[in-house]
Parts: sequence; C-alpha cells; structure tokens
Amino acid sequence: MNPDMNTRLDKLLDQVEKPARYVGEEVGAISKAHTPDMGTMAFCFPDTYEIAMSHLGMKVLYDIVNRAPHLLCERVCMPWVDMADLLRQENLPLFSLETRTPLDQFQVVGFTLQYEMSYTNILEMLDLGHIPVKCSDRAEDAPIVIAGGPCAFNPEPLAAFVDAFVIGDGESATPQVMELVREKRAQHASRADILWALAQLPGVYVPLFYETAYHEDGTLASFTPTRPDVPARVRKRVEIDLDNAPFPESMVVPYAETVHDRIVLEIMRGCTRGCRFCQAGMLYRPVRERSVDKLMDLAEKLVAATGYDEISLSSLSSGDYSCLQELVTRLMERFKDQRVGLSLPSMRLDSLIKQTLEETSEVRKSGLTLAPEAGTQRLRDVINKGVTEQDLHNAVSDAFQSGWSSVKLYFMLGLPTETDEDLLAIGDLAKQVEDAYYAVPKGQRAPGLRITASASTFVPKPFTPFQWAAQDTLPEIGRKQAVLRSALKRKSTAFNWHEPELSFLEACFARGDRRLGDVLYAAWQRGCRLDGWQQHFKYVEWMAAFNDCGQDPAFYANRERSRDELLPWDFIDAGVTKRFLLRELDNALQGIVTPDCRQGCQGCGLTAFPGVCEQ
Amino acid sequence: MKMQVVFSIGGRLRYVGHLDLMRAMQRALRRSGLPVKYSQGFNPHILLSFAAPLAVGIAGEREVMEVPLEQPVTEAEFLRRLNAVLPEALQCVAARQVDDTHPAPMAALFAAEYRITPLDNQQAFYDAAQAFLKLDSYMATHRTKRGERQIDLRPLVFNLLVKPEGLRAVLSLNQQGTCKPDLLLTALADLMGTPAPDCRIVRTRMLNHLLVPLENA
Repeated sequence: MNPDMNTRLDKLLDQVEKPARYVGEEVGAISKAHTPDMGTMAFCFPDTYEIAMSHLGMKVLYDIVNRAPHLLCERVCMPWVDMADLLRQENLPLFSLETRTPLDQFQVVGFTLQYEMSYTNILEMLDLGHIPVKCSDRAEDAPIVIAGGPCAFNPEPLAAFVDAFVIGDGESATPQVMELVREKRAQHASRADILWALAQLPGVYVPLFYETAYHEDGTLASFTPTRPDVPARVRKRVEIDLDNAPFPESMVVPYAETVHDRIVLEIMRGCTRGCRFCQAGMLYRPVRERSVDKLMDLAEKLVAATGYDEISLSSLSSGDYSCLQELVTRLMERFKDQRVGLSLPSMRLDSLIKQTLEETSEVRKSGLTLAPEAGTQRLRDVINKGVTEQDLHNAVSDAFQSGWSSVKLYFMLGLPTETDEDLLAIGDLAKQVEDAYYAVPKGQRAPGLRITASASTFVPKPFTPFQWAAQDTLPEIGRKQAVLRSALKRKSTAFNWHEPELSFLEACFARGDRRLGDVLYAAWQRGCRLDGWQQHFKYVEWMAAFNDCGQDPAFYANRERSRDELLPWDFIDAGVTKRFLLRELDNALQGIVTPDCRQGCQGCGLTAFPGVCEQ
Repeated sequence: MKMQVVFSIGGRLRYVGHLDLMRAMQRALRRSGLPVKYSQGFNPHILLSFAAPLAVGIAGEREVMEVPLEQPVTEAEFLRRLNAVLPEALQCVAARQVDDTHPAPMAALFAAEYRITPLDNQQAFYDAAQAFLKLDSYMATHRTKRGERQIDLRPLVFNLLVKPEGLRAVLSLNQQGTCKPDLLLTALADLMGTPAPDCRIVRTRMLNHLLVPLENA
C-alpha cells in the first residue's frame, strides 16, 4: 500500500471501535515480500477478527502456504460496520493485515465457509476489496476467488460469486491451487484457461463449467458439465496420513482478545459416532489420529513460540481419541511447571473419564459442557446419540464431586419425529442434574449450582441422513420454545435459545441451489451483512430479498424432499454414499441405533478411499 | 525483588488497548523464559504493575512497569531476553532491579509529559497554548462512566512549552486530579474557536511529585 493510503488508513483507526482488530503486527504473523514471482493469496475469513483468529483451519493453511518459498498468504477479516462504512466513504480498499495490500492485488482470494450466515460478508468483503462481486463481472486480471471449508460441500448458493471451490481437506489442495494459478499467470494464460486447469485438480469444482435445469415444481431436473473434459462428480480431498500432515509450530498471537485465545492442538480429525444430525461427523470421515509423540512435540514448540498459558485439545469428539489418558497425563506433567493449562472441549458425555476430569481440574477449572441433544431416550436413538440418562447422571455426579458447580447442557429443538413429550423430558433432565448436585454433601460440593440449558434450532444439512427432512416452521419453533421454557422454569437453570429466524435462513442456504445466489445478492444490496451478529441481522430485508427474486424460503427450509429427488449437492462425492444415508434415515425413523464404526464397519462408503479404514 | 522496566510502544501498536498490552507483555515474559514470579491460585499469572494505562491511539516513549521476579537476573540479561521476544514496535529501553519496598510505579506517579504535534493549524494551536497558561482557571466538562462533572483544568496543567517538534505538555496524572491530553485539546480548541486539529500524541515521560522521571527516582 502506498504511504498516502497508509496514513489515511491510520486516520480511520482513530475513529473506529476496537482498532486493534486492524493493526496486524502480531507475534507470529508472517510478512513476505510481494516479488513478481510469488504466488499470493489473501486468506479471507468472512467474520470479524476475534472470530477469525479463533479458527484453526486458517492457522493451518496460513502456515502451510507461508512455508512454501514461492507462495505467501496474508489474512483479511470482515471489518466491523464502522470500518466498512469508513473504507467506502474514503474509497480505501479492504486490505490485508500483514502488509496492508489491497484485496484485489492478490492472485488468489480464498474464503473459508464455516457458516451459511456469513455469506453476505463474502459479498461485502469482495466489494470492499474492489473485486466485482459476481464471477461473470470479473476482468481477466482480477483475482481468482476460491472457497473451501465445510459449507463448500454444498457450494451452489455461492456459485455466482466464487470461481472455484476446494472440497474437503485443504492441506495439499490449497498450495496446489496457488501453484497452478501462479504458473498460469506467469504464462499469461487467460482467466478461462486458469479456471479450466483448476477444474482438472482433484477436489476442485468450478461452477462456470456446469449448468442446471429445474422441474416445474422447482426441484432440480439436471446438473451437467458443459464440456466433456471436466469431471461429472467431484470427490473430496482427504489427508490420509494426518500424523505427517503439516501442523503449525508457531501461531499468530493476537493483541485483541479473541474467542479462543489459546494454543489449539488438533488431536484427531473425523468422528466414528455417526450422530445423524451432525454434518461434520459425516464430512470429516474417516477418523484419523495424531500420535501422542507428535502432539507432545507440537505442544512444546507452540508453547515456546507463543507464550500462551493454555492448550486446548481439538477434535469433533476428543473423548474418543484412543490415547487421551496418556496425552493428558504427559501434557500435564510436561507443562505443570510452566503453568500451562489444558482444556478439553467437545467432550461427548459418555466418554468423560473421571480421572481426566480430575487431572484437568488440577490446573484449570472451566465449566463442564455436555450435549445430550434430546430429552428422551427414544429421540436420542432417532438421532443416534448413543448416550443414556445414566451416562449423564454419572458424568455430572463425578463433576460435582470433583468440585464443579456449573454445567452447560446443549439440546436441539425441532429434530425429526420430535413431540412435546421429548421437550418436557429436557426439563426432567435438568431436574436430575440438580438432584445430582444436591446429592453431594454440602461441605464437599462447590457452592452456587448453575445449569445453563441451550436449545438451538435443528437445521437439516447436506450429507447427513436428515438431508431430506423438513425443518419445523417458524410458528412451530416458537410454540416449542414456549413449551421448553415452561419445562425449564427452575431457579438453578438458565434457558438460552437461538434466534429461530437465523436458523431458518441457515436451513435455506445449507440446502440451497444456484437460484439462491440472486437472493443472497439482493439481501446484500438491501444492506444485509454480519447476519450472525444479532444486532445486525435484518430478517425483514431477507424476506424482502426472497420476494424480490420470486423465491420461497419455505421451499428450501420446510419442505421434505423425496428420496429420489436430485439434490443440488449430489454431484459431490463426500465419501459417505447416498445408500448409506438412506439406510441411516430408515434406521432413524425406526429408532434403531447404529453402533460406532470402530466396533465394526457400517459401510458408509469411505472404504472407497484407498488407505483409510484399514481395520 | 522486582524489575522496574522502561519500555516504548509505538507505530500501529499504539492502537492496542491497555488490557491487551498487559496480556501481550505477560506472553512475552513467558516466551522469554525469564524467572518471573506467578500469583497463587487456580489461574496463576504474572502480576505486572504498570504506572498508568495508555489511552488507545497514544504512543509511549518511556512507559514504566514492574515485573515481579522469582530469582535475580542482571538488567542486561533481562533486557536482552525480553526484547528478543517482543515485536519491533514494543521494546524495553531500560531496566533496573529494585527491592520490594520500592514504591509501585502507580503510587509514585504524579504527572506525565506528552508531546502533542498538531498536523495542521499549528500556529493557532500554539497561540492557544500560550493563552491557556495565562488563565487563572479553566472550567472543563469531565465525562466519566458515572456522568459529567465540571473540573478546573488549569491547576492540572503544570506546563506547556512550544518546541520545534510539538507542544510539550506536563499534565497531572494522579489520584487528586488527572488531565488527559484529549481534555487539554478540547480546551485549546475552545480557545482557538475551531474544532481541535488532528494531532499525533506521544506520552514521553512518567514523572513523580518532584517531576523527576520514575526511573531516576
């Protein structure tokens, strides 16, 4: 960025809330020279700095790209509304944190798609970065806009805005995409050539080369490549050998406080449980673990490089990590003198080990979080959450005996087959937790019982057995929330719920098709951005946007799909087969539990990937 | 035993708030491996003590903090190891070991010296500063979380001196009364009869009741 722009940007920092978000210069940040031979990428996180800097995927890819001698990666976050408006007013471009390079000066602009309700931020960031929002409006030399992450498994609602999607694990794919763009740019290849070459890479989907047709009832009639030399199906990328896949040995240490301000160690990828509502559990298959030795080595380097006083073990289900006991013991032993604490999020309650709890409490006592998801055993069987009331009772009793006094319980509202009886049973569960607390003698328990019950609205997601299911309508969700609220009227218990309108829109975009691109564009034009932030969520504008485009949100959110309907994401091979998902749907409706696949292969389809699921 | 440290913070890091700076310092000390002392309890941490928080947007040239030590370490060693793990825009410039009876910097602090450089309208600004010094009293509205109150700013401004590099202002900064630079700017703008000019503000020294820098007392 030229000096004049730098000064003008600094002036903006005097006017905005939390200017530390835009400062950069953190310990661990990497600024490489933008020489002409470099392949450059702006890693764009479509939410604010505090959220972005808590995201492990960005740390991993940032590290991988910057390790490559001819590649560089810089971070760009969604500015808060005050900064966004000032940038526009001053006609200054959105810029990277490392070198304040304007977004449109990068060869590749890459977004991570973690959450459907961040999609308007993508449009806003492109526009603030002076990049045409629609692919079709981009000039020859405009950056190639790519996207990856879990929401890329149904890329269609973003097909008009993203040139290429990377499906699946990004460790090898991201530098490959960058190398290709760098080479093609050096050869002065046309934009169309670059996109065609990208479409040849495994796991890459370029929407330009595919067209769709629709039936009269609005459902998808066909999805076909427009040229013979692009794949009809796109298979997700999988890092088979996670233990040898690169993992950062240093991390950016933010000045501003972030949501997860600590070292994050990914101990395992994937989950074998097969909860039927859980998209991550299906997308990140197969399960791969990192070895304890490798993790100890990483922890050692990361503590030294960052100065963090907390390590968090991350995975979809840390309690299932086969060497958890050994890892926790060795980490505690190694870092006790350095006063480094450990936290274990995402614990499934049936895998809570009492000893682990006690060891964790030796260093740091955070709240205990459990996710029974549903109130009755019947419904927990439907969703294949293999957890019993006894498991919950044991887990909280152990925790209360070990000095915990606050418990968070997560539930989902609107699950398939749910009745009021299931909701009322959530109240009974809260009561049981309370009883377990008072069962510990007064002198031995920590004072001040606090139970927090959170109920999110169920959002059916692609590549899950519930991908055909209807989401409850808004009035029905409202009624169910009222039932639940009255069931949870206890002094010890606080009840939180999510805004159902937001979940409704999330459901639209999670299973949306290309036609939702127009709705997204219209909503953004109507001023929608930062939708995930309650104070900025404009439901009325969203509904007006649907109306502008002649689209019905209920078609996407509240409609049960027939089993033979062509789904917008069917062209993606996520590993799990449709046959498996249908079998799981049938099992769900009959309340039949499917065991953890570590106890025997359930035939989900992942064995088609060579080198995985050997046992 | 504790180390009294003089550090500078500038560049874009002037936009880092006080709590964030404190955390950054604690993490730097952890990276340095220096023998610092931790608090007791469930969340052991390094009890740093700063002379005074620096407002967001203001740089500091000789800020003062104290670091509790578990074991003695030479001043040179301390500076070398801490500066090696601090970013360029945040560096220690001096350190001296003091014993535990040495008053905490927050307690010794009485005033601070600032360098205020207007980016435009300089002559009018400096004239206003001269005029301000001639006043016996200047009532200003002081806004706090608890509401507004009128304070006399004049006795809180110990000196204003026009220098080639900007206005050198010595302002009260203690329990009895504090004049923050923005309050002075508002007052000068009032005397100028224009909005306050854009200024670059640097806190240059932290002073005790004899107006001697804390690190020399």
